[in-house]
Amino acid sequence: MSTPSLTAADLARENEELRYQLEEAHELIHAIRTGAVDALAVQGSEGPRIFTLQGADQGYRTLIEQMSEGALLLSNDGTVLYANAGLASLLGRNLSEVIGSTFDSFIPLPFRDYWAGLVLKGWAGKSKGELPLRTEAGPLIPFSVSTNVLTFNDNDVLAVIVTDLSAQREITAIEAQVAEQNRIISRKNEEIQRQEAARQEVERAAAEAHRMLEGIPHIAWTTNPQGRITYLNRRWYDYTGHDNHTPLDEQWLLHLHPADAEGTNIHLAHSLSTGDAFEMEFRFRNQAGAYRWMLGRALPSRNATGEIMQWIGTSTDIHEHRLALERIDLAQKQLRDNNAQLTRVNVDLDNFIYTASHDLKAPISNIEGLLDALLVELPAETVQQDPVQPILGLMQDSVNRFKRTIEQLTDVSKLQKEHGRPTEPIDVGTVVHDVRLDLEPLIHSNAAELEIALEALTVLFSQKNLRSVVFNLLSNALKYRSPQRPPRISLRTWTEEGFVVLEVEDNGLGLDAASKHKLFGMFQRFHDHVEGSGIGLYMVKKMVENAGGHLIVRSELGTGTSFLVYFPR
Amino acid sequence: MQKLTCALLVDDDQATNYLNSLLLKRLNVTDKLLVALNGQEALDLLLLHCQEAVVECPVLILLDVKMPVMDGFAFLEAYDKLPIKQRNAIIIVMLTTSLHPQDVDRVQRLNIAGFLNKPLTEAKINDVLKNHFDRHLPEA
Repeated sequence: MSTPSLTAADLARENEELRYQLEEAHELIHAIRTGAVDALAVQGSEGPRIFTLQGADQGYRTLIEQMSEGALLLSNDGTVLYANAGLASLLGRNLSEVIGSTFDSFIPLPFRDYWAGLVLKGWAGKSKGELPLRTEAGPLIPFSVSTNVLTFNDNDVLAVIVTDLSAQREITAIEAQVAEQNRIISRKNEEIQRQEAARQEVERAAAEAHRMLEGIPHIAWTTNPQGRITYLNRRWYDYTGHDNHTPLDEQWLLHLHPADAEGTNIHLAHSLSTGDAFEMEFRFRNQAGAYRWMLGRALPSRNATGEIMQWIGTSTDIHEHRLALERIDLAQKQLRDNNAQLTRVNVDLDNFIYTASHDLKAPISNIEGLLDALLVELPAETVQQDPVQPILGLMQDSVNRFKRTIEQLTDVSKLQKEHGRPTEPIDVGTVVHDVRLDLEPLIHSNAAELEIALEALTVLFSQKNLRSVVFNLLSNALKYRSPQRPPRISLRTWTEEGFVVLEVEDNGLGLDAASKHKLFGMFQRFHDHVEGSGIGLYMVKKMVENAGGHLIVRSELGTGTSFLVYFPR
Repeated sequence: MQKLTCALLVDDDQATNYLNSLLLKRLNVTDKLLVALNGQEALDLLLLHCQEAVVECPVLILLDVKMPVMDGFAFLEAYDKLPIKQRNAIIIVMLTTSLHPQDVDRVQRLNIAGFLNKPLTEAKINDVLKNHFDRHLPEA
């Protein structure tokens, strides 16, 4: 602009002129800013150019000056024709540094091309973008920029609005926090709604349970999952009397029998902790003050996920039932006592039979011996005399009968000691044949007819006992014959489910129903004209029962008798 | 037949003792016959007579089982401990009624010559003489 050939005076003059221009520029800028002037002239390389804020009005200018966004006007060569205080402050520079400068100088190098593109697009109409700007202090700050072409006095300028994005970035962060908070709140709301739904479900279930429990004829109650009473139905109040002063949860304890309290609490605690069904008998006091036995039962009521929502229980009056059971228990105890006593008596009886057969033996053989000794001492003629001889005869008969009875008692006592079942099959035919030979004189003398039909050939029994059974039954059939007709006896065997059956049927005297029951008693005799000790059938029954079998008698007075012996197979 | 020097009957039943004495006398089995009413009396007799081999020491004892004061089993226990020299010369036969299986078992384990079922008969005495004294009753 100046040449070195200028004199000091020229320089001073030039200096003075420049200072003047500077002052003028300051005043101008002030004037533009304050709205004092509407146009300005800028000294360009081709002389001053005049910019006029055509139609600009004081209000807009104030708005632009006071807004926090940066606003600037760019000439087509990129010179900042105007900038507001907001822009200067965003860039951390004096306004004077900004106006007249090249805007590119605030743009970091890597973004210059991008900016050039935005400017190019801006001159074509409008553009928008984001880029960092360099501040006075050095840090880059992100900005969004938007451009717009304006026309001043037929000259186009590019109006640029610069917005600090760092604040927006913070807002974005805050918004994220807010969104997160909102999510938490919404989750809590959902949880609250869920809990509310669950509570309503519990209440609905409880209400439903209570409605049903009102209708049943038992005392009924519900508790919460912790076991606190939540409801008692009307039956409870009918039973205990109406009491509105005692809290619901304490009512039952007030009426429970003190002796049942501990057991009930233990049972209840167990059920509550395990979910097991509750069942117990206890006593509740009614309004008359009497305790009655109740059967208390309760089950947990669960929701769809299996959680216990409540316990539903009933108390049923079992007082009469329980008393009846106690009476039955007592009766059973008496029966057991009686049985024990009978067992003792039976053992005593067995021992008695043994002892009797044993201890009577010596004295009776002594009597017999002494009788013999007496006979030796008596003069022969005295012995032959009447009534000595019949007396001696009767004495000998009595001794003989006594000895026979003792022998049979001995047999019985031996029989009672027999145990276990014989496993050897015994040929029935052989045994029957032998017995028949023994009884032949009796059969012959009575002109008896004996028919034998053996379908089953063997039985599992002891040979000796089978002989006794057959002998007793056949000899009985002969002994108890009817005087009106010749004896007809039939002996048959056959096989039945699980048994071999031996039947001896006669057409003899027969028995009435009353006698049949006593038939197998020891020393039972129904016909006193017949010889016998009455012990035979008792022995038969014992032998058969010892082997796991049984006897059946069919008899009709005056028609005949049939004995059926069942031997297990 | 050569008679036994001495026999001892041990039974609490007087009738049994009477009949058995009668039988032994009739059969001429023994010179001398002692009678004791229970085990204790029998022990006393043995202590008295059997220190030396004298005629009063019985060579045959017929012993009942059931007796008051001391029964047959208790007598045999005490007899085993008796300080007498003639033990080996004494034959003990137990006289029983029909035996309880438990008693049979017990008797069989005893250190005795044998046992007989009551009542005592001529045949049974003859068996004892043959088995233990190598002699027999004269044939009738």
